[in-house]
Amino acid sequence: MRQLFAPGADAILRLALLVVSVGALVFLVVVGAVANSDYVYGVGVAPKQPVPFSHKHHSGELGLDCRYCHTSVTHLANAGMPPTYTCMTCHSQIWTGAPMLAPVRDSLANNQPLQWSRVNHIPEYVYFNHALHVTKGIGCSSCHGAITSMQMTARAKSFQMQFCITCHRNPAANVRTPDQVWNMNWTPPADQATKGPELVAQYHIRNAAQLTDCSICHR
Amino acid sequence: MSVTTSDAPIIKPGQTYDSIGDTLTGIVLRRHGWGRWWLAMAVAVALLGLLVVSLGFLFLYGTAIWGNNIPVTWALDIVSYDWWIGIACGGVLVSGVFLLLGVEWRGALNRIAEAMALIAAAAAAVYPIIHLGRPWFFYWNLPYPNSFLLWPQFRSPLYWDAIDIMSFLGLAAGLFYVGLLPDIASLRDRAYERARVEGRDNSLTAQLYGIAALGWRGSIVHWHRWRHAYRGLAVLGVLVVVALQTGASVMFAGTVEPGWHDTMLPVTYLAGAVFAGVGMLSVLTVIIRHVFALEALITERHVGVLACLLLMLCAANIYCELATDFTTLLGGDPADIAALGRRAGGPVAWSYWMLVTAGFLPALLFLIPSFRARPGILAWVGGAAAAAIWGDHYMLIVATLQHDYLPSAAQATHITFFEWTTFAGSTGLFLFLLLLFMRLLPVVSMLGERGLVTRTGAGPDGSPPWPAHDAPLWGVAGEFADAHAMVAAARVLRRDPRYRIDAYSPVPNLAAASALGMGAGHANWAWAAGVAGGAAMFGMCMYATGYDYVFDIGGRPRFSWPAFLVPTASFACLCAGMAVVAAMLVQNRFPRLNHPAFNIPGICRATQDRFFVVAHARIEGDFDPAPAERAFAGLDAPALTVTRVPR
Repeated sequence: MRQLFAPGADAILRLALLVVSVGALVFLVVVGAVANSDYVYGVGVAPKQPVPFSHKHHSGELGLDCRYCHTSVTHLANAGMPPTYTCMTCHSQIWTGAPMLAPVRDSLANNQPLQWSRVNHIPEYVYFNHALHVTKGIGCSSCHGAITSMQMTARAKSFQMQFCITCHRNPAANVRTPDQVWNMNWTPPADQATKGPELVAQYHIRNAAQLTDCSICHR
Repeated sequence: MSVTTSDAPIIKPGQTYDSIGDTLTGIVLRRHGWGRWWLAMAVAVALLGLLVVSLGFLFLYGTAIWGNNIPVTWALDIVSYDWWIGIACGGVLVSGVFLLLGVEWRGALNRIAEAMALIAAAAAAVYPIIHLGRPWFFYWNLPYPNSFLLWPQFRSPLYWDAIDIMSFLGLAAGLFYVGLLPDIASLRDRAYERARVEGRDNSLTAQLYGIAALGWRGSIVHWHRWRHAYRGLAVLGVLVVVALQTGASVMFAGTVEPGWHDTMLPVTYLAGAVFAGVGMLSVLTVIIRHVFALEALITERHVGVLACLLLMLCAANIYCELATDFTTLLGGDPADIAALGRRAGGPVAWSYWMLVTAGFLPALLFLIPSFRARPGILAWVGGAAAAAIWGDHYMLIVATLQHDYLPSAAQATHITFFEWTTFAGSTGLFLFLLLLFMRLLPVVSMLGERGLVTRTGAGPDGSPPWPAHDAPLWGVAGEFADAHAMVAAARVLRRDPRYRIDAYSPVPNLAAASALGMGAGHANWAWAAGVAGGAAMFGMCMYATGYDYVFDIGGRPRFSWPAFLVPTASFACLCAGMAVVAAMLVQNRFPRLNHPAFNIPGICRATQDRFFVVAHARIEGDFDPAPAERAFAGLDAPALTVTRVPR
C-alpha cells in the first residue's frame, strides 16, 4: 500500500497545530492588552476645545487656585465648570481683543455657555463625589495627573474600575494632609507608611471592606 | 416475546467483520441516495435561521421579548437549558455506565448516545449565554485577569453552571471522539481503497478522514491505551453527569422558594434527565435504524433493551414524583403544599398533566412484553417521555416562581412568540448537527458490533505482495485471517531479542496485548491531573472569597466551602479527562500521518477484517529480515502472506 500522506505531512500538521494553539493564546493576550491600553482609553490625548485654554499657563505659571474656577469641588459631587463670567473677571481687562478669545466674548455677548469637550469621563452608573474625596485628603493630581504642567488638558488616567478599587482597598497609600490636596506635583513622602494610616484615622475614612462595597459607588 | 430475552442473538446471524464495516462505512461513503437527507437539512437550516433571527431580536430588545418577569425570572430559557442538558446527561450516562458494566448490546447504541449527548449539550450551551441580560459580556462570569479587579461570585450557581457545562462539553466531546477514532480510521482506509479501485492515486476524502484519525493504525499498543482512555472518560463522564444534575438541583435548593427543598430533588433531577435522554435516544435509534436500513445491526433485541430501560426509568420517575408529593403532604408546610396544589391545579397545571399523561402512562405499556420489540411504539413512547420531562421542568420552575409566599408578589407568565421561536431554533441547531453527524460519521460503532461476531471476512486470500523496490527495509510483516493466529505469531516472534514486535487488529485484543508485554494502564496521570485541577479550582475559590475579595453577601461565611464543591468536582473531572486524552495521544505519538506501517501491503484491512504482525529492528538501521521470515515460515498457523516492508 502507498502512504496516504507524504513524510513531511506530520511536520506540517504538528506545526499547524502548534501555530493554531499558540496563535489563539497570543490572540487573546494581544486583544486583552489592546482593549485595556491607554491608547484605546485615550490617555494623554487632548481633545479639541473651542478655546485653547491652558491649565499650565493659568494654574501653573500664574498660580490661580483650582477652586477659583471649579468652585463647587469642596462641597458638591460635581467639581463645576466655570461660567464665562469667571473668565471675564480677568479677560474683560487683559487680552480684550485677542482673536483667540473671540469665542469667550461671543459667549458673553450671546449669553450662551462655552461648549467644552469633556476630557474625563466616568459611566453614569458610577456615583463619584468630588467633595468627599478632596476633603478627605485625596488630591486632584491622584486622578487628574500633573494638570498644572498640561498645556492642553488631557486625560491622565484611564478610569477603569481597577483604578478606583486599588485606592479604595488601600487609601493610606494616597491620602494627603489637607494643604497638599491642591499640590499637583505631590508624591508620597518618605513617611507615608506611618503617616498614611494616621491620616486615614483622622479623616474617619472607612475600612477597605466597606470602601469596596458595591454600593459605595454603584447605587 | 422471545426476541427480548437474553438468549436471542444481539445482531442478525451471518455478520462478519467485513460485512459490518461494509454496511457502516458504505453509508457514509455512498454518493447517492441522500435526497431525504437534503430535505431534512433544509428544515434544519430553516430552523437554524429562525434561531438567528430570534437571537437578533433578543440582542436588540433584550429579554423583555420573553415571558420572563418578576417573580418568574426563570422561564422557558432555563426550562429549555435544563431539558437539553438533561438529554445530554442521559446520553453520557447510558453510554458510560454500560461501557463500564461491559454490556454486550451496548455497541449498537453507544455512538448514537454519545453523539446525542454532545449535540444536545451544544444546543443547551446556547441558553446560559443568551439568557444573560448582556450576553456579549458572558465571559465576565469566568475568572480571568480583568480591569475591574473583581472575581466572579464563586458562591453563585451561575458560576457553577459555567464550569459544569464546560466540563460536560469537554468530556462529552472526548468520549465521542476517542470512541470514534478507530472508526474514522476505517473510513479513511475505505475511502482510500475506493479511490484506488477507481484508478485515483489519492483521495481528498481519505486524507480528511486521515487527519481526523490522527494516524490510527489499529496497533495493539494503540488499542491498549485507547481502551484505558475510553473507559477513563466513561468514568469521568458519569461523575460529571451526577455533579451537573445534582448541582442544578442544588441551585433550586439554594433559594427560599417553596417546593424546591425536597431531599429527593437531586435524585428526581437525575432520573428525569436520564428518562428524557433515553427517550430521545430511542427516537434517534429507531429513525437511524429505519432510514439506513440497519435492521441487521440494530435488532429487536436493542429495541427491547431500550423499552425495558424506559420502563425502569419511568418507574423511577413515578417513584420520585410520588415520594416528593408524599413528603410534602406529610411535612405539612402550607407554602409547600400550596405549591404542590398549584402544580396540579394552577395556571400551569397543563405541564404537570403533561408529565403524567405523556411521561408516566405511555412507558407503562412496556409492562406488556409484546409491546417491547416494536420500534414504532418505542419511538412514540420515547418521544413522549422526552416531551414529558420538558413539561416537568416547566412545572418545577414556573409553578413555584409565579407564586411564592406573598400573594402580592404572585404574577402569572405565559410563553411568548419569541420563546417558542428560540426553542424551535435550538431544536434546529440540534437537528443540523445531528444530520451532519449522520452524513459524515458511522452512526453505529463498528468496534462494538465487531465485538459480537467471530467470523472476520469472506475468505483467506492474502494481499498481493509489494513490487520490487530498493528502499531500505523497515520490517517483515505477516498477514493473518484471525486473531488467534496473530497472537500465536506475536508470541513466537517476540522471543528474538533483535526485533521489536507490533501487531495490528480491527478490534482490541487483550491476549495480544499481554503477549506483547503491555502492562496496566496509566491511570496515574488522570488522578494527578484530576487532583491538581480540583485543588486549583478549590484553592482559587477559597483564596478569592476568603482573602482577595472578601465580600459579605447575606451573612454567608467567609470560607463557604460547600458552595465550591460543585465547580471543584466538575473541573477535576475535566482536567482528569483532558489528561486521559493527552496521555493516549502522547503515548501513541499521535498525530502520526506517515508511518512505515502504512507501507505494509494490505494494511488498509487492519481496520477492517485482517490481522498483522510486524517485526522491525530494535536498533535503528540494524535489520536482518531472514530470521523473522524463518520464524513466520515455521508457525503452526501460517500467515496468508509474509512481506518485506520498506521504510
